[in-house]
Amino acid sequence: MEICRLRFPSDHEQLTTNLPMPHEIALLNNCLIVGALLFGIGMIGFASRRNMIVMFLSIEIMLQGVSLSLVAWSRFHNHFGGQMLVVFIIAVAACEAAVAMAMILALFHQNSTLDIAVWRRLREANVPPLREEPLPEPPADPPWPRLTPAGRRPEISPEETDYRPRV
Amino acid sequence: MDTKTLLILIPALPLAAAVLTAVLGKRVLRAQSHLPVVAAIALSFAASLLLVFQVQERIERQAGQAVPAASVGCEGTLATLWCWADVGTISLGDNPTATSKSLQSPAWGDLRINITLRADPLSAVMLAVVTCISTLVAVYSIGYMRGDPGYWRFFSYIGLFVFSMTMLVAASNFLVLFVFWELVGLCSYLLIGFWFEKPAAAAAGKKAFLVNRIGDFGFMLGVFLIWIVYGTLDFHDTVVDGHTAAMGVLGPSRLAHGPFVGGWPATAICLLLLLGACGKSAQFPLHVWLPDAMEGPTPVSALIHAATMVTAGVYMIARCAPLYAASADAQYVVAAIGGVTALLGAIIAITQTDLKRILAYSTISHLGYMFVALGTCTLVGATAGMFHLMTHAFFKALLFLGAGSVMHAMGGVLDIRRLGGLRHRLPVTHWTFLIGCLAMVGVAPLSGFWSKDAILLAIQQRTASDGASDLFHLLFATSMLGVLLIDFYTFRPFFMTFHGPERIPPEAGDHAHESPGTMTGPLVVLAFGSVVVGGYFEWTHGFSHFLAASPSLAYLSTPTGDAAAAAAEHWSIVAISTVIVVVGIMATAILYLGNRKNVTRLARAMDIFGLYSLSYGKFFIDPIYNALIVRPLLSLARLAAWFDRHVVDGLVDFCGAVPGRLGAVVRPVQNGMVQFYALVMVLGLLVLVVALLM
Amino acid sequence: MFAAHHILILAALLGTLGLWLMLPRGTAPGRNVGIVLETIALGLGASQIPLLGDWPASGMFLILALTAVVAAIAAITCRNPIYCAIWFGQSLLGVAGLFLFIGSQFLAMATIVVYAGAILVTFLFVLMLARPEGQANYDRRSHEAPISALMGIVMVGVLSITMGQALSPAESSPHPITPPTQTTLAAGVLAPQHVARLGGELFGRHLIAVEVAGTLLLAALVGAAVIVGTGNEERNKTD
Repeated sequence: MEICRLRFPSDHEQLTTNLPMPHEIALLNNCLIVGALLFGIGMIGFASRRNMIVMFLSIEIMLQGVSLSLVAWSRFHNHFGGQMLVVFIIAVAACEAAVAMAMILALFHQNSTLDIAVWRRLREANVPPLREEPLPEPPADPPWPRLTPAGRRPEISPEETDYRPRV
Repeated sequence: MDTKTLLILIPALPLAAAVLTAVLGKRVLRAQSHLPVVAAIALSFAASLLLVFQVQERIERQAGQAVPAASVGCEGTLATLWCWADVGTISLGDNPTATSKSLQSPAWGDLRINITLRADPLSAVMLAVVTCISTLVAVYSIGYMRGDPGYWRFFSYIGLFVFSMTMLVAASNFLVLFVFWELVGLCSYLLIGFWFEKPAAAAAGKKAFLVNRIGDFGFMLGVFLIWIVYGTLDFHDTVVDGHTAAMGVLGPSRLAHGPFVGGWPATAICLLLLLGACGKSAQFPLHVWLPDAMEGPTPVSALIHAATMVTAGVYMIARCAPLYAASADAQYVVAAIGGVTALLGAIIAITQTDLKRILAYSTISHLGYMFVALGTCTLVGATAGMFHLMTHAFFKALLFLGAGSVMHAMGGVLDIRRLGGLRHRLPVTHWTFLIGCLAMVGVAPLSGFWSKDAILLAIQQRTASDGASDLFHLLFATSMLGVLLIDFYTFRPFFMTFHGPERIPPEAGDHAHESPGTMTGPLVVLAFGSVVVGGYFEWTHGFSHFLAASPSLAYLSTPTGDAAAAAAEHWSIVAISTVIVVVGIMATAILYLGNRKNVTRLARAMDIFGLYSLSYGKFFIDPIYNALIVRPLLSLARLAAWFDRHVVDGLVDFCGAVPGRLGAVVRPVQNGMVQFYALVMVLGLLVLVVALLM
Repeated sequence: MFAAHHILILAALLGTLGLWLMLPRGTAPGRNVGIVLETIALGLGASQIPLLGDWPASGMFLILALTAVVAAIAAITCRNPIYCAIWFGQSLLGVAGLFLFIGSQFLAMATIVVYAGAILVTFLFVLMLARPEGQANYDRRSHEAPISALMGIVMVGVLSITMGQALSPAESSPHPITPPTQTTLAAGVLAPQHVARLGGELFGRHLIAVEVAGTLLLAALVGAAVIVGTGNEERNKTD
């Protein structure tokens, strides 16, 4: 198996040549790039968000990226193997989602919070627990206008009834 | 039985008995633990008497034969047990062919130590004295130590001590002598601290051992110097195939032809050996351990600190007499130290109140006399010193055992101010004690008289010969003063304890009766010996002739002088000393038998010049040593302990703390956050990927 | 003047910065700036990918790809978790569109049905069960935002460069990559009876795997019920 070597091209070379890529290879290339992007984005989301469900969401994004790559390779090699794997990925992702949701619910019931930063029992003895000052409340949404309930005559001021012409 | 077998048996029997008692004593023998030891020591005594007769026979045989040209005295019989060390030939550069050794040059590079025992008149006399006193003391201990929980241990130690003392006097090699010198010191420590639960006894044992150690250090340096100067450590010659391969330090060839190295090596050797003797024989300034050693049981004091161990120093100097003959300065130092010690011990003994302490100081004083006699370095002087050693052994042991009997009856009280009028309750003790006192002060015809007079005569004769006669005149005067003091400090406790109104301390309880037969028996035998031994030997001149045949002493010159004038001097000294003795006894009797008010008046009179407090405070030597030596050493020890605890241990603790600190630095990585772990995993993955793909 | 890789490096840097600014960082401002930067970065990156033959194909691909990526970015940077879930749904649509574009229709539909229809709805249920009042602390803060952004972009960059180099014609001379021809594709993956063929492959070659997957689903169901069930029991006991 040959391992591709990365090399940074010098100034008068380009990463991609001027020759146009054949259609199939270009399609493969692009799909793989998108898959890599989705995978990376999913990883960033998993590493930075504190809500357990959003973390899980990011994992699913990663799985999507992988699925896309597999399907692209499947087309390129004219073989159904990649798509088979994606079918199983979908099935396993479903199971995983079910179990993960159950676990998240159980954890939520223990601490009444979806924050993953409270679950730090594996920390060393001299690492202090998380202490955060509370953030200020976000500005409340402006009150939406309310309609009066239907079926009741709106209140009209007496001045309006005085000089309003009868229509 | 031939001499070699006897020589080997004499130390072997007590050793076997000691081991047997040590192994079986606690469980099996218990109250019968004395049986093997007493039997063994008694057999040793019999063997040593036989040995004396055999040596005597040999002397007469050699005197009858034609004496070979180069022979000084009667060469002893040697019994070699085994070769302890044989370090082969070490060639030292300028002496590559070490096989060719001439009799004149030292055989450098060949260290061969054989365990060899010798039987010549000097060692035979010492063996007889040691085993005789040991037998009597062992029999006494049966009664004295009865009921003590360490009964078996006591007899085992006694056996060990007799073994080491007999080996010491029989050894024919400086290194072997030194080994048993140390072993005797060890036995002394064990026996002084026998009741080790008593802190005073344990401290006394330690003090004895440590002060002896100082002396032993000097002894060791002396032995090293002998090796360097003479090239060998044997007393005897190494005989190979009938011809002398190497000269011993005190062997017949060296005694006949020499050379004995003179000048500063000889003085250094003699002074270092003297240091060892001072430690062992409690001479000034290393005498401080002997009074404290009275914490041990009384039989121990009688055996070790009166008759045998403390005489090891005297024996050693007598044995090395040819070495001392080569250095006049060392002789003067020996005599001077002896004189100072004699006077010091006598002055301190006058005012002490503890019976055993008085006897201890009197032992120090008498050992001083022996050293003075040896310091004259004449045949007469050496013989007189050894004779006094023998008689002193008898009467001092008798006095100590009598004190033990008093202590046994009075429940452990020995303060003579609290005792009185015991002659009716303890008759045997009273009469034997009286005989011992008379022997000590030197009343004719008891043994002490003959030996003390021999010493005085030797000093007097030495003043006649050349070389530092002023010193010996001074020593003669101090000896006469010492004679006066002897009767005072001897009869003062006697009168206070046994005469006067009867005073029994409450600790006596129902003990205040005469001691059992096992204790009074040896007292009687020793009393008989004190009376008879001196007179018999001196009358027949047998002792001096016997000793004069031993090689070391025969080397010493006999001063030629006018025989008639010598005889006249002899009788004048006898007369003067007898007068002094009688006057002293009468003065003491007047002071102590009647009203004792005069005593306090005399004491206060003496205290005008501070003499009384100086004497009672033992010349404050112990506090001086404490301040000068003990305190600085303790501070040094404290400093070393601080260093060890803080610097050395601190370093070790620091090394141990390093992993912990490193861990504390790395530990915050484990913060329990899942995402952090995931991030770190990704980081690792990235590094791997980039490394593989680059 | 600017070579292709310069532009890509610039795009990567801008992308990192933009992502960092967009991630929830408490009360710190800059989210809008982050959006702008991210847009610029995506635009720069999109300009460097190879074209797919004719314009409609390239345009379609771009629209679908941008939908998927932009929706995914929005899904991870929203403060409100329900909005995150909905953006995720949007991303799924984009990905499903890409599946369709590639030619695997079954998978496109399966993605929408299973992911958007089942998994996403489960997420929403749990979110509704566990929502605190107002916006929670933990939704408005994130861990280690800069480092994670950087690492994500570095990973994407590494993968892209590898792939780009592997697939460019000049590099692969010892083992030339031969793309499949239309006829082979029409006979294989892109055949008219695509779904039938896929089914035949699934239940023919991977039959045992299908059965195992079914058992796995059953196990997951039972497991989820047990986890939540015992939690319920414990809570009922303590109450």
